[in-house]
Amino acid sequence: MIDLLPHLINGLTLGLLFALIALGFTLIVGVMEVINLAHGSLFALGAYFALTVIAGGWFSGTPFGAWWLSLPLGLRYVLALAIGPALAGLAGMLLELCLRPTYGKPPLYGLLLTFGAALVVEELIRLIWGTGEQNLALPQAINSAVLLNGMIFSTYRFFAAGFSILAIAAVWLFLERTSAGAVIKAGAHDSEMVRALGYDLARLRLLVFGFGSALAGLAGVVMVPIWGLRPHVGVDIVIPAFLIIVIGGVGSFWGAVIAALLVGLAMGITGAYAAAWATMSMYLLLIAVLGFRSRGLLGRKSALEN
Amino acid sequence: MISLSDIPARPAAWITLPMVVLATVLLATPWLLPAVGLYQYLGIEIAIWIIFALGFNLLFGYTGLHSFGHGAYLGIGAYAFGLFQHNVAVSLWGGLLAAVLTAGVAGALVGAFLSHRRGIYYALLTIGFGQIFWFLAMKLHRVTGGEDGLLGIPRPPLTLGSWQVALTDNRALFYFAAALLLIVVVLGWRLANSPFGRVLQAIRQNETRARFVGYEVWRFKWAVFTLSAILAGLAGSLLAMAQQGAYPDVMSLHQSGLVVMMVLVGGGLVSFWGPVLGVVFYFVARDVLGGLTETWLLWYGLIFMAMVILRPEGLAGMLHGLSRRRPRLQPAPAPATEAA
Amino acid sequence: MALFEARNIHKRFGSRVVLENISLSFEAGQVSGIMGPNGAGKSTCFHVLTGQHKPDRGEVTFDGQRISGLPPQRIARMGVSRSFQLMNLFDDTVVIENVMLALPAFRARRLHAMAAVFSDRVLIDQALAVLDQVGLAGRAWDAAASLSYGDRRALEIAVALAAEPRILFLDEPTSGLGIEATRRLAQLVKRLRDRYTIVMIEHDMRFLFELADRISVIHWGQVIAEGPPAQLADNKWVRRSTLAEATHA
Repeated sequence: MIDLLPHLINGLTLGLLFALIALGFTLIVGVMEVINLAHGSLFALGAYFALTVIAGGWFSGTPFGAWWLSLPLGLRYVLALAIGPALAGLAGMLLELCLRPTYGKPPLYGLLLTFGAALVVEELIRLIWGTGEQNLALPQAINSAVLLNGMIFSTYRFFAAGFSILAIAAVWLFLERTSAGAVIKAGAHDSEMVRALGYDLARLRLLVFGFGSALAGLAGVVMVPIWGLRPHVGVDIVIPAFLIIVIGGVGSFWGAVIAALLVGLAMGITGAYAAAWATMSMYLLLIAVLGFRSRGLLGRKSALEN
Repeated sequence: MISLSDIPARPAAWITLPMVVLATVLLATPWLLPAVGLYQYLGIEIAIWIIFALGFNLLFGYTGLHSFGHGAYLGIGAYAFGLFQHNVAVSLWGGLLAAVLTAGVAGALVGAFLSHRRGIYYALLTIGFGQIFWFLAMKLHRVTGGEDGLLGIPRPPLTLGSWQVALTDNRALFYFAAALLLIVVVLGWRLANSPFGRVLQAIRQNETRARFVGYEVWRFKWAVFTLSAILAGLAGSLLAMAQQGAYPDVMSLHQSGLVVMMVLVGGGLVSFWGPVLGVVFYFVARDVLGGLTETWLLWYGLIFMAMVILRPEGLAGMLHGLSRRRPRLQPAPAPATEAA
Repeated sequence: MALFEARNIHKRFGSRVVLENISLSFEAGQVSGIMGPNGAGKSTCFHVLTGQHKPDRGEVTFDGQRISGLPPQRIARMGVSRSFQLMNLFDDTVVIENVMLALPAFRARRLHAMAAVFSDRVLIDQALAVLDQVGLAGRAWDAAASLSYGDRRALEIAVALAAEPRILFLDEPTSGLGIEATRRLAQLVKRLRDRYTIVMIEHDMRFLFELADRISVIHWGQVIAEGPPAQLADNKWVRRSTLAEATHA
């Protein structure tokens, strides 16, 4: 009998991180009805920007670089948590500008364009940051081991999970309690109404795309110490994010969160018995759920089905 | 804008002018390639990918079903061919049949699951299934050789009755692939203008209406998915011979996305010939741009993005734009009585 | 027994009851009309009759056979054909192919994968004959997307006719048409009425009263009046809404 507890905890933390990625994704899908295949690339960009902030980059040789790298790691990490997502958000806005000609066309075009963007971003990353696997240095405070129930856990996992919960709650509060959130939710159903309410739809889209991309970048900074950082990480992560959206139901907030936790747990539990097959479990989950509910757990009818 | 369903100029012809041009170019390819500084193997790769892309476009362009996991069936064909050679007999026809059947059965099973789905859910499920097959190829080490691939696949000789010719030489294998390609082109063109093919296109244009005039839409979707998987399997068996091995990487999302990009860049949404142009463009770009810069995929990606935004009708659409205003050969019938 | 019958149909979307105990019957050879204000449930009723929606309760029978619950393609193959109010055509191709696809002869060849459609004289002649009925034979080889609004409406009807229906449902055939096009359409329906059993939803009262043998009025998801036009003309509700229609227009 295997002790499942550590695997459940691993699965749960993984699920929470997945939820963070999926939220940005579902926000963009819900409001723009664009499947952003480059979402994983924005995740990767956020993490790579954070890498530069923490470990330096082209500026390392300058006096500024020397001063920068002499700052405490904790401070640089906190700055990376802000700058990485912000730059990913900007990159997302750039992508939204590219997407504009595809609005009003079949969803295929948005899908294809973002697929191309994912390819381009990955190549850019290779060009700028190199092709090898890299590590994000973490401050000691969140990167130690803790003995729990006779087993060793990395504190970072708990930090990441807690951070995800906070971020998810913040997004939820933003959607539920602010007028901007209300408009985004309205836009999720009815872009006519957004226009009627007097909001500028073009700006709303730009901001939502930026916001969703920043969430992806944030997830990147938080998750990469667990998943590793390589140019391909964007594609590796966009697939789970994707499946989660579908399992949860396109455009549904809680659907995405629940599906993310399910996928995380499925991977954690499968990992306990057959580690090599952990990734497989999420595909099987997808097929099982869609076999019974063709729009996912909490999905509604959407224009994306046409 | 022009579209795939435009009525062809000479609907009844089995052989059309572009086919003759293609056949001529294929015949000359083994001389053309070295003349421009390229190598024989490239011709084989191009022929294989054109077969794959043409089959894929029956699904993607003609029926409007957006599969993003089609590399899986290419890979299945390759593995099936190799496993047949290793475990049953060294036989070209046996291997081809095994590849086509295995890919067809896999496609039929997946197709049965997919065919009631629409739009984005369809696309996402194709990704899911594609990843599953890819994952299986990676993990079923004892069958597929895992990440190292299935090695040592022979190139069995071509036998027709008492006539036999070896395919070990790249030029011979190219001609064999080219011959299969031409058969696929002729039959594919015929299919596109047959009642079956026109129903597929009707489903793309208006699935609801197709249903309301009495078609079991999901059966057509299933049939065309299976058919395109069969053609992918055929291409896969040629790939196994060409590489003398079968590897999981052709089944990855990346490669599945690649065929989508090729078909779109070539103009598969508007022309039967789109996949042909797209595959040739990709491989030539890979070798020419790739010779100049390490980051050629970056440039290809940018070209692709620009095309999606500016020219979704692709290369074929641009060519068509150049030769616009060719009159339709189908005569308009004498005007009948005007509505009173 | 009537050719086409709907008995005690209930239909709700979420918590909204759209059809509440609707019963209708259409006799062979007649032109039947369904009228009612916007939002009365006419369109939903039509969708239930032709199989786009399944009723929550009640049943629809055609020629004695139960068709409610069957998928639309099955119902269509039994000889129930419909047009759409919002034009629903095959827009990437020519006019004639829209009609050809709906021909039973085409459907019989649906698995022929190596036959050439556009050199099949039988299919082309049959399609031209259908187009001729609606006055579009001269436009047969033009792109469907290039037709004018009125011609597209005629093509909608041609597609429905091509299926050789035993009953023809027309969904708001005059909607969006000008006076002249409406007049032409009325003449078309008059020509068709000898050959087909027709059911139409219509908000143009004059059009409906001129053509229908029998009219059912739907309001609040129920049939509130039924009878031949002459009899209905005196109905209080019909007069009021005719007036409203006139002032709205």
